[in-house]
Amino acid sequence: MIPLATKAGPAPSPFSPEQQKRFDAGLEKAVAKYPRERRKAALIAALHLVQDELGWLPEPAMAYVGDLLEVPPVRVREVATFYTMYRLRPVGRHHIGVCNSISCWAMGSTSVLRRCEEKLGIRPGETTRDGQFSLEEVACLAACGGAPALLVNNFTYLEKVTAESLDQLLADLGSQPGKQMAPAGAGSTETER
Amino acid sequence: MSGPRILTAAWDEPESWSLARYRASGGYKSLPKALGMQPQQIVDEVVKANLRGRGGAGFPTGMKWNFVRKETSFPKYLVVNADEGEPGTFKDREILLRSPHMFLEGLIIGCYAVECHLTYVYCRGEFRQSAMQRLQSAVDEAYAEGFLGKNILGSGFDLEAHCVFGAGAYICGEETAMLESLEGRKGYPRLKPPFPANAGGGLFKQPTAVNNVETLANIPAIVEMGGEAFDKIGLVPKNGGTRLYAVSGHVKKPGVYEAPMGISFRKLLDDYCGGMRAGSTLKAIIPGGASSAILTAEEADWASDFDTLKAKKTMAGSGAVVYFDQSVNMAQALANIMRFFAHESCGQCTPCREGTAWLSRLLDKIVAGKGEKQDVDNVHQIARQMEMKTICALADGAAMPAKSYIDKFRADFDALVRG
Repeated sequence: MIPLATKAGPAPSPFSPEQQKRFDAGLEKAVAKYPRERRKAALIAALHLVQDELGWLPEPAMAYVGDLLEVPPVRVREVATFYTMYRLRPVGRHHIGVCNSISCWAMGSTSVLRRCEEKLGIRPGETTRDGQFSLEEVACLAACGGAPALLVNNFTYLEKVTAESLDQLLADLGSQPGKQMAPAGAGSTETER
Repeated sequence: MSGPRILTAAWDEPESWSLARYRASGGYKSLPKALGMQPQQIVDEVVKANLRGRGGAGFPTGMKWNFVRKETSFPKYLVVNADEGEPGTFKDREILLRSPHMFLEGLIIGCYAVECHLTYVYCRGEFRQSAMQRLQSAVDEAYAEGFLGKNILGSGFDLEAHCVFGAGAYICGEETAMLESLEGRKGYPRLKPPFPANAGGGLFKQPTAVNNVETLANIPAIVEMGGEAFDKIGLVPKNGGTRLYAVSGHVKKPGVYEAPMGISFRKLLDDYCGGMRAGSTLKAIIPGGASSAILTAEEADWASDFDTLKAKKTMAGSGAVVYFDQSVNMAQALANIMRFFAHESCGQCTPCREGTAWLSRLLDKIVAGKGEKQDVDNVHQIARQMEMKTICALADGAAMPAKSYIDKFRADFDALVRG
C-alpha cells in the first residue's frame, strides 16, 4: 500500500492530549541526541513514537511528523515504507512474528508457523477477524541459539518455542486486551493502490 | 569448556550486567589507566593486539582508528554497530544483556582514542525493550558515576553517548547504510570512497570510526594486559584474542561460546557444544553467518580465523556458526537463505535487487520439485554475475553461498530436479 496525496506544510496532530504529552516528551529526548542542526535525524525515532501511540502509521500522523521535523512528505514515506517494523495499516492488538531465517528454519520454524496459522485461522500478513491477532514471518531476530524464536508485539522475545509454549502464549494473549489500534481511514487521505 | 575467557568471564554470575558486579570483577579499572595514556598509545596497543573487527569484515581495528586519527576535520565520531542481523548471529545481544558495562568501558576508551566526544550506539529496533534497555540503564549508571559526561574522572575528556534504534532492516548492518539510517533516512549503502573513516564519508560527513559491539568489549582487556599479550591468545597470526562464536543448528548445546580466535570447527563442536544432537551426524557447517560459503563435514578441521577462511574462499564473518545434520537438504537450506537475501536487498543496485529475486524464485522452483538440471546451473551462473558489481557486499554475500552450496552439495540439488 502506498499512501498518496500527502500535502506538505502544517498538519494537525493525530494525538489525544494524553498521547501528545508522551509523544512530545519522547520526541524532545530523541531530538536532543543529535546536534542542533541535525534534528531531521530523529525521524526514525519519531515514527517509532507515533507507532507506540497509535499502533501503526496513519497518513495524517506521518504528515504531522514531517511537518514537525521539516522533512518533506516523500522522505517520511520513504522511511516508513523501507523499514519492516513500521506498520502501514492497522494490525491485530497482538502481533506474532515468526522468525523464518536459517537457524530457526533448521530447528522447525516451519511447523511453528503452521501451528500459528491453524490456531489463529490466518495466514502470514493477515489479522484475525476480531482484530486480536496478526501473524507475520520475520527475518533473523538474533536469537538463533534459542531457535525457533518468536517476536511478540514487536519487542518481546520467546525462544525455544514448542507446541506447548506456543499454545500457552496464544491462550495468554487471547485474553489480554493488547494494543489499541488507531482506526484506519479516520481523517486519512490514503488511497490503496 | 577450556581456554581463556575475556568477554564471558562473569557471564555465569547472578546479575552479571550490574555495575556493582562488573566492578567487583575488576571492571572500570582500564578506563582511568587509558585516560592516563596518550590516545595514540592506546591505538598502538590495539594495533599490536591484532584485534580484528568482529562485525564481519575482520578489518584491523587499530588501523581503522589510525585512519580516523589522521583526519584533520573535526568533530570526529565513533558509531557502534549493534544492528545484529546476519542470520545465525546472536552474540552482541548477549554482550548487551550480560555485560553491557564491559562494552561501555571499551566504547569510552575507544572514543578517547579517536578523539570523539559524541558517540552513538545504533541498535536494531527489535532489541528496544530487552538488550537496549539494559544498555540504556548501564549508560545512565555510567553518567551517574562520572564515566560519561563532562571531564570524565577528572581527565578533561568529555563524552556524550546515546542509544538510537533502527526499525527493521538487515541492510542497516552495512556500515554506510547504518550511517544513513542514523541520519534519519532509509538505509541505502553509500558509494565508497570516501570511506566512513575519512572526511566526507562518515556520520554527517565527518570522520567516523564504526565498530562492532564485541570489538569494543575487548578494549578494556587490551588496555589492561597490553596488545602483545592479547595477540598471543589468538591461535593464528594476525588474529588476536578470543572470539564469541554464536553456535546454532543441530548441536547438543547451542549458545554463545568464547574460544581462542582460530579454533577449529571440530573442536568448537566437540569441546564447547557437546557435539551433534543425539542421532545426528554432521553434514555441513556455515562458518560465519548466512553470507559465508558452506563447509562440508570433512572441512570441520579448518581454523576459524579471518585469514584462513578467506584463503579458503569463505569467511569468518560475524562468528555465527551453524552446524547442520544429515536431515537437511542443502538445496532447501539455500532456498531459505536466498528468500532472506531477496527480502533484505535494499533495491538500490540492479544486480542485487534482480539477482537475489531470480535466485530465490529459481531455488523455490527447485525445492518445489518443479526444477530442471538447467535451473541449478542457472543459479550458479546468476550468482557469478552478481559478484563485485554492487555498492555493498549484500550481493556478494548472496552469491557466495549460492555457488558453494551447489559446488559442494550438488547431489542434494540433483535429487530434487528432473533431467
